[in-house]
Amino acid sequence: MTADRMTCYINGIGILAPQETSDEGVLLEDIKTYDNNRLTCITPDFKDYINPVQLRRLSRMLRIGMTSAIICLRNANLRTPDGIITATGYGFLGETEKFLSEVLERVEKQITPTHFVQGTYNALAGLIGLTTKCTGYNNTYVSKGFAFENALQDALLQLESNHNANFLVGGFDEAEDVLHAIGTKEQFFKTEKIQNTQLFNSRTQGTIQGEGSAFFTLSGRASEKAWCILGDVKLIYRPATEEDLASALENFLEANKISLDKIDGVLSGASGDVERDWLIERLEASKFSSVPLFRFKHLCGEYCTAVSFATCLGASILKKQFIPKVIRHNAIVPQSNGIKTLLIVNHYLNRNYSLILLTRHP
Amino acid sequence: MSHRVFVTGYGLITSIGNDKVENFESLSRKRAGFGELSILNTLHSRNLPSCEIKLHDHELSRLARLHHARGYTRTALLGLIALQEAIDDATLSAEELKCTGLLSATTTGGIREFEKNFRAIIDLTQHGDFVQFTDTANPGEHTERIADRVGIRSYIGTLSTACSSSANAIMQGAQLIGAGKLNRVICGGAEALSKFTINGFNSLMIIDAQHCRPFDAGRNGLNLGEGAAYLVLEGEDIVKQQKKKPVAELIGYGNANDAFHQTASSPEGTGALRAMEIALAKAEILPGQIDYINAHGTATENNDLSEGTGIKRLFGTNVPPFSSTKPFTGHTLAAAGSIEAAYCIMALQHQVMWPNLNFKEPIPELELSPIIDLVQGNSLKNVLSNSFGFGGNTSSLIFSGTR
Amino acid sequence: MQQTIEELSQELREELIKQLNLEDILPESFDENTPLFGEGLGLDSIDSLELVVLLDRNYGLKLKDPKEGRTVFYSIRTMAEYIHQNRTQG
Repeated sequence: MTADRMTCYINGIGILAPQETSDEGVLLEDIKTYDNNRLTCITPDFKDYINPVQLRRLSRMLRIGMTSAIICLRNANLRTPDGIITATGYGFLGETEKFLSEVLERVEKQITPTHFVQGTYNALAGLIGLTTKCTGYNNTYVSKGFAFENALQDALLQLESNHNANFLVGGFDEAEDVLHAIGTKEQFFKTEKIQNTQLFNSRTQGTIQGEGSAFFTLSGRASEKAWCILGDVKLIYRPATEEDLASALENFLEANKISLDKIDGVLSGASGDVERDWLIERLEASKFSSVPLFRFKHLCGEYCTAVSFATCLGASILKKQFIPKVIRHNAIVPQSNGIKTLLIVNHYLNRNYSLILLTRHP
Repeated sequence: MSHRVFVTGYGLITSIGNDKVENFESLSRKRAGFGELSILNTLHSRNLPSCEIKLHDHELSRLARLHHARGYTRTALLGLIALQEAIDDATLSAEELKCTGLLSATTTGGIREFEKNFRAIIDLTQHGDFVQFTDTANPGEHTERIADRVGIRSYIGTLSTACSSSANAIMQGAQLIGAGKLNRVICGGAEALSKFTINGFNSLMIIDAQHCRPFDAGRNGLNLGEGAAYLVLEGEDIVKQQKKKPVAELIGYGNANDAFHQTASSPEGTGALRAMEIALAKAEILPGQIDYINAHGTATENNDLSEGTGIKRLFGTNVPPFSSTKPFTGHTLAAAGSIEAAYCIMALQHQVMWPNLNFKEPIPELELSPIIDLVQGNSLKNVLSNSFGFGGNTSSLIFSGTR
Repeated sequence: MQQTIEELSQELREELIKQLNLEDILPESFDENTPLFGEGLGLDSIDSLELVVLLDRNYGLKLKDPKEGRTVFYSIRTMAEYIHQNRTQG
């Protein structure tokens, strides 16, 4: 630990998700329902964010990603970040599919380059850099269920050596057709169609497919309109037992000098998959029975970087001091002196577990 | 206080050798891996020769010490081979591996297997042996698979920033150690050839059907290659505690963005210059203290001019000896950063500088000539390695000898 | 019956708009002589590669060196002239 420990502030957020979002954050007032196990983003007119010359070539995921990044920069009143870090599980699969189809159909002759270029995983990070003329640090993580957490950890490291910098960090994934086919074959998704609001009542294997793009500006210096503090992030890979996960949780809380009874809310990444949720459900029951427990994946669906939706949601809760009814999962309410600390406990396919600590500012 | 970061072992596999020793031999004897493709099934096997590893997947499985290689993509196999050599080289125990992180990079992941069975994989009615590759196309998959195999659990990540990917993995590993988050991280990348990449780069018209000529006035594009390499990075505390003998120290690194164009580098070499400057600043050394540059040198018209310009702007009239080793290995995309880092470390260990094959005439705008023969016996101390990619990603690493 | 340059221009205009998604960015003054790259329409190097493929696929003409594209792809008119001329010879 260094003498002048950096505090990392989330100064701006920008998100496109399967629920309504705005400059006020993720308020979840009118919930959009889905009946086909696929949740897709509510999108604005992209022309309001991206110039037409650039727009014409962009795939849907690139448009969504770029727009949410711009919303974030506007929210933070920042024209050019000092660094850009993006995270995705499956990137621009649609572009890859288009390119592959062309290669196979044309038997490797007369192939056009656009879909190849737009399918690279760092295409969004490069595009944002180009558009904002950011010549600083630029990185992209593609670690499936750890991608966004790796990105946050990277940003924290960068800021430790430059507290005043502003880093733009985002996680994105698309509810793409090819991915849906893969997920179905691998039994990631429910076979029976349910309404998303009933996700946690359906006690069957599989979850529902989601998508989203959430960006944040992080800095060691708080802006006037800072949303909250990003305290810490921890990755836990394939915990074998409840004890493994529980002790990782304890170590995390201890390292951050906070006890469970001081946590005002836990945002749980339970996915509604009764097979793969077993460990997180055990943890919820054993550790969080006296803590206000919230869940979020019925609202955004499951995808590799869904934890970025939770981070946005957490930031909104801390800033607005308001907990949307639709996320409450138990009857415990936060203490009367306000919501000060939130803990996100996420998992992806019962392999990638993470803990993210958010605290109120000021 | 930033902890110093040392390299205590490394491993690699390329078209010029299955391990460190073979690679060293080939580099020393100017033996390149360029030729017609015989393992990958592609229309372009003859008209777009590349640097292919002449081993079928089942042979790679044996090298990777696997009895059952179900679900292992070629990228994962290459990665596992290099990773195991790195672990052996650093003599890491199973206990040590439990507290080690793994950062791997790739641009394609399992796309080679995906493209073979693309239609069948996404057809819900079709089943067969190909189902083992249903969900292996994504880049993060290979990292988890090889981490599982060797018992790495504590911190895992996968990076993808085109051709600078594994350099960024090494950088991130160094930063995690420097900040005291981890004591040990294994960093690198893996990349297998595929129809996807061959046709992708061909559609950009930047592949040379002949053997590539980095920094040459008549250069005509790159050759593709495949391979993997990993470096074991350890913090000074455990190096001292366990009295390890590092092979090199990672003293500097820099990551910047050109912000010029999606696939082309700026003619002024802005991104390249920035990355190198940041690396030098981190290393706290002056340009004059760099003894050798392993350039990105893909032999595309654009890169070599841009990189060369960046080098001239930084070093002025005192450009150190430099070369690109890509005529040996081809452009191994995400793995290039770590493979070339390994070559830099080899250079320091053996006190040699590698030749830049196929060079005849300098680029007129630059008038820079790389070294064309193996140079031995120098007092090589600080070596700079560049890796630049699509999306404007520019990364530089500086290694220092530990003698 | 060989296409006239004017007919080729019209055909190319439609092809370009489709292939490069130009519907929303065509200035009113756009015609067959508007420069496609740089100042005029603002297309870039990736677009020029698309045009190389278009020339090959639709007209069987191969540009071996992307640098040739600078003159051939200057405008729709120059493209039409190139096709018209090389088709006659081919």
